Amino acid sequence: MTLKTPPAATFERRYQASVAELWALWTTKEGFESWWGPQGFRVVVHRIEPRAGGALVYDMIAVGAQEIAYMKNAGMAVSHGTHGTFADVVRHRHLELVHVIDFVPGLPAYEHRMRVEFFAEGRQARMIIQVEPHSTTQWTQASLAGMESQLTKLPALLGARAAR
Amino acid sequence: MYGNAYMDAFQVLADPSRRHIVEALRAGEQQVNDIVRSSRIHQSGVSRHLRLLLDSGFVQVRPQGQQRYYSLCPGPFNELEAWLASYRRVWDARLGRFAEALERRQAAAAARKPRKDR
Repeated sequence: MTLKTPPAATFERRYQASVAELWALWTTKEGFESWWGPQGFRVVVHRIEPRAGGALVYDMIAVGAQEIAYMKNAGMAVSHGTHGTFADVVRHRHLELVHVIDFVPGLPAYEHRMRVEFFAEGRQARMIIQVEPHSTTQWTQASLAGMESQLTKLPALLGARAAR
Repeated sequence: MYGNAYMDAFQVLADPSRRHIVEALRAGEQQVNDIVRSSRIHQSGVSRHLRLLLDSGFVQVRPQGQQRYYSLCPGPFNELEAWLASYRRVWDARLGRFAEALERRQAAAAARKPRKDR
């Protein structure tokens, strides 16, 4: 545990998978692009270098109509180049990701760090994510208010998928 | 690590001395001397941290004659709780997508694997 501030939240999940499979979702272009973007956003990775000091550079692109409208209303571009670095990386054990948050109108750039740990447990893999708080609760609340409206669609989507 | 000039709620509570004071006040309204005893922090430190907790809205003070009684304000704690719940929902959704991506990846790998029973 090397986060500089107490985590705002900790998430723990178990999967019927190997640690290598989970690791690939965090550390490869295809893997990261397949899940990182919020609903209504697409991620295009330009650089992903999972080693201490290695770069993570990607575009976060709003593709849903609601998300595009939300970003425009918030004074943000619909496509934003995001960059960060990997820190304290030990393959298949843990990694830290430090994002530079430089796209919030009215706020100076700041760093946001998360730590991910992986544990092999028989045929399962356990993953623990610790996330630092954002720079201001106000910004995150504003951000989440927009995202929550999207998340209300999720049960309907999952229902439709289950019915197929 | 943050660029903001002001201290936000997480930074206020990140300090262990201030968390001790908050813990002490969970028992109810107290004077500084009571907080010093229960938190085991020197009086000058308690006064300094109390000032910060007052300024950030976590603590309120009620004067009564010569005495000053300190207690917790529920507002910032409720806001923190609501914020954390929102944060959790976003990450739950993200990890839902992680699980779906993992399943797709495993299904694709299984489809590529040559079957041995033929």
